[in-house]
Amino acid sequence: MEVTVTGLNALAFPHMHIWDWRVALYLFLGGLSAGLAVMAAVLHLRKNGELVEGEAASWIAPLCVPVVLGLGMLFIFLDLEHKLNVYRLYLTVQPLSPMSWGSWGLLAFFPLSALFVLATLPERLYGWLMLDSLRNLARRLTESVRIIAFINLLMGIFIGIYTGVLLSSFVARPLWNSSILPVLFLLSALSAGAALMIIVSRSLAAKLFFTKLDIFLIAAEMTVLPLFFYGQYTSSSAHRASILPFFAFTHEYLWFGSAIILLGVIFPFALVLKLLEIREGHVTALTPAVLFRMNLSAALVLLGSAIVRFAFVYAGQLSHYL
Amino acid sequence: MPRYAMVIDTRRCISCMACVVACKAENDVAPAHFRTRIREEISGTFPDLRAETRSELCNHCDNPPCVYNCPTRASYKNEETGMVLLHKNKCIGCKACIAACPYDARYVDPVKGVVDKCTFCDHRIAAGKQPACVATCVGGSRVFGDLDNPNSSVSILLRQHPSEVLLAGAGTEPRVFYIKHYRTPR
Amino acid sequence: MKNFCSRRQFLKISGATAAGWAMASALPPWQMLSAAEIAAAEGRYVATYCEMCFWKCGAFAKVVADKVVKLEGNFLHPHSRGVLCGRGNGGLGLLYDPDRLKAPLIRTGERGDGKYREASWDEALSLVAEKMGKLATDYGPESLALFTHGSATSHFFPLVKAYGSPNVAMPSFAQCRGPRVAAYDITTGSDIGSPERLDMANSKMVVLLGSHLGENMHSSQVQDFTQAIGNRAKIVVVDPRFSTAAGKADYWLPIRPGTDMALLLAWTHLILKNHWYDAAYLEAYANGLEEMIGQYDEYTPEWAAKETDLSPAVIIETAQLMAKNAPAVALHPGRHVTWDGQDVQRSRAIIILQALLGTWGRKGGIYLASKAKLPPLPAGKAYPKPGRPALNRGGYPFAGGEGVTNVVRASTLSGQPYPIKGWFVSGTNLLAALPNPDETRAAIKQLDFLVAVDMMPTDTVVHADVILPECSYLERHDSIAQLRGRDLRLSIRQPAIEPLYNSKPGWWIAKELSRKLGLEAYFPWQTYAEKLEEDCLAWDIDFDELKEKGVVLIPNSENAYIAPGNPPVFKTASKKIELYSEELELLDFDPLPRYVRNEQPQADEFRLLYGRSPVHTFSRTVNNPVLNELFSENELWLNPRPAAKLGLKNGDYVALVNQDHIKKGHIRLKVTERIREDCVYMVHGFGLQSERLSKAFNRGVSDQELISKYVVDPIAGTTGMRVNFVRLQKEA
Repeated sequence: MEVTVTGLNALAFPHMHIWDWRVALYLFLGGLSAGLAVMAAVLHLRKNGELVEGEAASWIAPLCVPVVLGLGMLFIFLDLEHKLNVYRLYLTVQPLSPMSWGSWGLLAFFPLSALFVLATLPERLYGWLMLDSLRNLARRLTESVRIIAFINLLMGIFIGIYTGVLLSSFVARPLWNSSILPVLFLLSALSAGAALMIIVSRSLAAKLFFTKLDIFLIAAEMTVLPLFFYGQYTSSSAHRASILPFFAFTHEYLWFGSAIILLGVIFPFALVLKLLEIREGHVTALTPAVLFRMNLSAALVLLGSAIVRFAFVYAGQLSHYL
Repeated sequence: MPRYAMVIDTRRCISCMACVVACKAENDVAPAHFRTRIREEISGTFPDLRAETRSELCNHCDNPPCVYNCPTRASYKNEETGMVLLHKNKCIGCKACIAACPYDARYVDPVKGVVDKCTFCDHRIAAGKQPACVATCVGGSRVFGDLDNPNSSVSILLRQHPSEVLLAGAGTEPRVFYIKHYRTPR
Repeated sequence: MKNFCSRRQFLKISGATAAGWAMASALPPWQMLSAAEIAAAEGRYVATYCEMCFWKCGAFAKVVADKVVKLEGNFLHPHSRGVLCGRGNGGLGLLYDPDRLKAPLIRTGERGDGKYREASWDEALSLVAEKMGKLATDYGPESLALFTHGSATSHFFPLVKAYGSPNVAMPSFAQCRGPRVAAYDITTGSDIGSPERLDMANSKMVVLLGSHLGENMHSSQVQDFTQAIGNRAKIVVVDPRFSTAAGKADYWLPIRPGTDMALLLAWTHLILKNHWYDAAYLEAYANGLEEMIGQYDEYTPEWAAKETDLSPAVIIETAQLMAKNAPAVALHPGRHVTWDGQDVQRSRAIIILQALLGTWGRKGGIYLASKAKLPPLPAGKAYPKPGRPALNRGGYPFAGGEGVTNVVRASTLSGQPYPIKGWFVSGTNLLAALPNPDETRAAIKQLDFLVAVDMMPTDTVVHADVILPECSYLERHDSIAQLRGRDLRLSIRQPAIEPLYNSKPGWWIAKELSRKLGLEAYFPWQTYAEKLEEDCLAWDIDFDELKEKGVVLIPNSENAYIAPGNPPVFKTASKKIELYSEELELLDFDPLPRYVRNEQPQADEFRLLYGRSPVHTFSRTVNNPVLNELFSENELWLNPRPAAKLGLKNGDYVALVNQDHIKKGHIRLKVTERIREDCVYMVHGFGLQSERLSKAFNRGVSDQELISKYVVDPIAGTTGMRVNFVRLQKEA
């Protein structure tokens, strides 16, 4: 069939390109902060708080959450075409718009993560808090740290899902229009959070704990990702066509082919590294070599998570409902 | 209460672009941007060829994904007329509506920095005129009117001929109908 | 009203339900405006007629704060019937094209190198007058030729006639409709007119030969064509290319280019042999049927099938259909019919078929032109008799009053029968219009003087010694158009806004020039509005009504179909349709069309076909920002099989080399099933070389540059141009 279209919008030609690296980075950083919030909460909640003892990550990780989140929100803000109107997001609730409940969610998540920071900040660092009232608040919050951690865990899961739902709600974009996508994004967010925990935590116990957790998450991600492609492949022709960029391996789709190959290497490699770490008695002390291997595998997981966001943001815009 | 709709008779569309140019002038659409377009499809091999020519525009869906995906209620469905319209003063330019539209009917106005789209020329309708694209359609391919009025030309055409909508499977319930074949005369 | 708001503000009100954010506090949405404010924002409407092409559609220009913001069709106007085509809507692009000619220019460098200086109107016109005076002294006034097209003609033809030259030439004849005009002249005594009086809206069958209606965007005609489609008329399209019209057809006949005559003769053969003709009609209105009998025996469908590469069955089937649907058959005579130099005879073959089917004057066929008459205008001062006879018809017996451009060009080059030393060019880009532009360039070199009047710095304009910037049709008065179709109507052109920049209306330029030449007696009015009012007075037309409505209908002026008391009028010698032309026979031409085989391309060559885009009028509109956006560069259509053989794919750029080794490149390939394997096709008017056309300069390829060969029709002097063959070379 020869198709000639006259009068296509610049934004839709030769294919839609409305969202670029800013949105991909936002989704990555938003997911990372969500995953980190969950993992920081887990650190506080698991084993009756044993892991927290003497562990700097107990306050560094919560501190990272609003910082990473703020950075992410900066990038989505940069993507808005009409930034001055941004307050309009908060004059209405649009239950069918993920963008709407996402922006409300972020609005809630930000102070909640800040409370988490206050609750976990060691007293020796109270000097950072400029106001007495803040110090008092922090002191009082410390008592309810487990409740705050739990709320942050729930909030983290919510935001982790939201970053995927944001894309999956569009019938017009078959690559995104899958309910597996939010699950995939959540898993990817959680594994990235766990990876960052491995990097920021100091104690061997905490590192090994998150390594184990990450193994499950990576394994789940490695199950869901092929399932996602399988689901697309066995769906309508538009869905099937939507995954073409990943598997065509042509010059035109160079970046997407590379992404899928990279993911195919990164995840198993990180997984093997991690499995090696947790072999019974294998690691007894944090030697530089051990630290390097752990940080490397964690960095790979973070990279994989970023690749997933970038690949999906860009490839989804190539896909079209018939 | 009028239920506005457009019927496009593809047999009579000769891809002359009159609608495209008229729309741009009427609505001051920025260069390289369009609210309506012409699609020509040729299938078969020489000399057994078939052609379909049609104009496309916002479908003013009854189940509009752009409206659902708008976080600020800038995009809305006018309950009185059924037109899918935009409060430009509420638009933050998040482009979710553009991603949501399976018809690529929306764009970001590079001058105003907000999303824009076909309005069915509601300002002309209010003044008792036809949309600019319909008023200038040389082939008589584009017809606009009220579905609730059984004597409107759209109602008559839809009764007379089989019609389809674009991407019916997307569930958007468009208000733009395409007549591709005439009912065979009895 | 003028200061109510700027255009952008206005559109913010009108274009949306809510004003843009910046204006949200300043201006209420349109629903909240008072009636008076809405009226102000809606602006005023000025009736006029369009000149984006030469169909002259009636239009209203919507003016807000001294800016034309929109054009709309005029319902009263028979050519537009309330709608405008893409080009008509795109008139704003011409009006506000930043590349427009803005001030008179006087050449400072060599002719053709594009160096000019701005001058005052007084200086520029004085120079033109001085050169014209010198020309008259040196060579006689007949040595000035006027090349013209469109409304400018009504201003500059009188000027040139008053000056003493009869030598006018319009490409609309020798490069376009000429053969058809001549053929009708010979056969029925009068042309089918422009608009062609085809009653397609009532036809049961429409037959197009190479007429790509839809791509050729003449509004009312395309409206009728789509009406025929809507009425489910049988559509037959004969075209080597699957045109837009072919896409609507019941029968697409992808004929071998250059063999249309064979098909027409075979159809005639079948109609004669099977007695499918309308005997009573022919008895009443035609001469020569007896002479035809026996003359078509050899033109069997089987013979024609070999020539045309069509199947005999489809030739028979379409002939049967014509017979069945006669007389409600609209057999289109074509408009641009200068194909192969046998064009008058081919046009005659069509007209003979129209007659055999009894279509002239019948519903669904060809309706009769209104016979209504307007009172004559008072005679102006008589023009001087030229010292030497006009050379612009070149001795071709049926060359029309529009003159033969290629003859005037040839005389410029040869100096025979007398020298042509000055060209006055208005409204036509000769380098894009005439075949073999090398000849045009050589002729321009021979000139003592070249003056051009135009809106845009076209390729021809930038060769002129003096360039006079005419304002666009939206900024000027022109003569009242007499629309003689089904009925008689008058239509006015009047300015929507004052001329922009330092441009002037054509009438003003002609009048001022006449003053400097001492010929002002031929322009006995102060303003053109005054002249139009006087004309209306003479015609007993309400000028105010005309100004307001744009169109005035002459009552009871319709006489479309043959009826008792309404016979058709044929202005031939026999007062009947002359199937067999004794007039031609006397001049040693074939009295009946017969088949002469055209040359066909070699195996590795393609016949170069050209045509139109619905958004462009030749080269005139290529730089129009509004239209250029939709079609900025022409493409070369090529069938996929030869493309594969040549290793070419869609989107590749190629150069074209014609039979005379002229190479032009590069042009983007459109590899498409929509064309035969033995020809290539491009839209005419591209590949412009004037650097002052910022959007059009060097975009695409000029078909005219590759048309170095042309075959002159011996009957009318017109130039057959589809006789060039090209080879393709891949470009990096």
